[in-house]
Amino acid sequence: MASVLGKVVSRGISTTRVASGQAAVSGHQDGWKLWRKLTFLVALPGVALCMLNVYLGLDDVEAHSAPPFVPYDYMRIRNKRFPWGDGQKSLFHNPHVNALPSGYEHTDEHH
Amino acid sequence: MSNFMNHPYHLVDKSPWPLLSAFSVMSLVTGLAKWFHTFNVSLVAFSLFATTLIMIQWWRDVVREGTYQGLHTIQVGVGLRWGMILFITSEVLFFMSFFWAFFHSSLAPAVELGSSWPPAGIKPFNPFQIPLLNTAILLASGVTVTWSHHALMQNNYTQGLQGLVATVFLGLYFTSLQALEYYEAPFSIADAVYGSTFFVATGFHGLHVIIGTAFLLVCLIRHMFNHFSSTHHFGFEAAAWYWHFVDVVWLFLFISIYWWGN
Repeated sequence: MASVLGKVVSRGISTTRVASGQAAVSGHQDGWKLWRKLTFLVALPGVALCMLNVYLGLDDVEAHSAPPFVPYDYMRIRNKRFPWGDGQKSLFHNPHVNALPSGYEHTDEHH
Repeated sequence: MSNFMNHPYHLVDKSPWPLLSAFSVMSLVTGLAKWFHTFNVSLVAFSLFATTLIMIQWWRDVVREGTYQGLHTIQVGVGLRWGMILFITSEVLFFMSFFWAFFHSSLAPAVELGSSWPPAGIKPFNPFQIPLLNTAILLASGVTVTWSHHALMQNNYTQGLQGLVATVFLGLYFTSLQALEYYEAPFSIADAVYGSTFFVATGFHGLHVIIGTAFLLVCLIRHMFNHFSSTHHFGFEAAAWYWHFVDVVWLFLFISIYWWGN
């Protein structure tokens, strides 16, 4: 039972390779042209549209500003210090939008 | 040493890499624990360096055995395919644990968090800004790697190269955008269980994107050295499988953590 299943799956795997070999020989000659068309007519324009959408959204001040500091006890957890620097800042710490347990650092005032 | 054998299997030559890699990854995880407890980074740094060198040499040997010595018969290929499938399956289960953790905390948010998800005080990302762009990028990279694969199968060197270059570029673009997002995030890994689940899940995903991009880059270089034939290019197929897996994990991340979790 298990060996029959094994043979069926193994044949499925090796025929994948043989079938892709046949693609190189018989009718299917230009499979790459279809995928290249999809790349330049669908996929990359889709990426470009999303890029435009991000660019247009950059002006949204509310979305890009720091949240107000409220000393919730489940935020800014420091049960053990981070193993770098002074141990108080996360790996991608950004002083503009990441407060320390005591509040935002007052480097410069424009958030 | 003659390649003669009257069977289709590959009885590998003696190699130091299996034992050495076991030692180096053991010292890597030990070094990680040592770093977290004693704040001394030497062991983990050295072990990372050693592990990298050993991986390069082991895989270099596999390429030599397959491409230059002709030892990868069809039956050997079946074994390699099973190996890659099982490995990717184990990675799927690895990610499932992080999705479990995410849903455990987010489906019934604790009263201490304000009984809401995201928790009070957390400002999540707008999923339809950079996360959506990242989705488009990974989907596009799935199309470009397929373009490259079909070109390879039709023996078209140039088109195969172009598709692969496009795929690697998209992978690097994704990684840079995620790094930017990580820096711009108004919450950190230490900000409630929201931060923990977000950064562990997306962080491991990002690591897999970097690994997948490196795998594709190796394929790109091998393609330039003419290692691939139209019928025999399993290294490329394995890289493509891995890349599609990375793409699918992102789709789940986008839908559950970025979109539903907003």
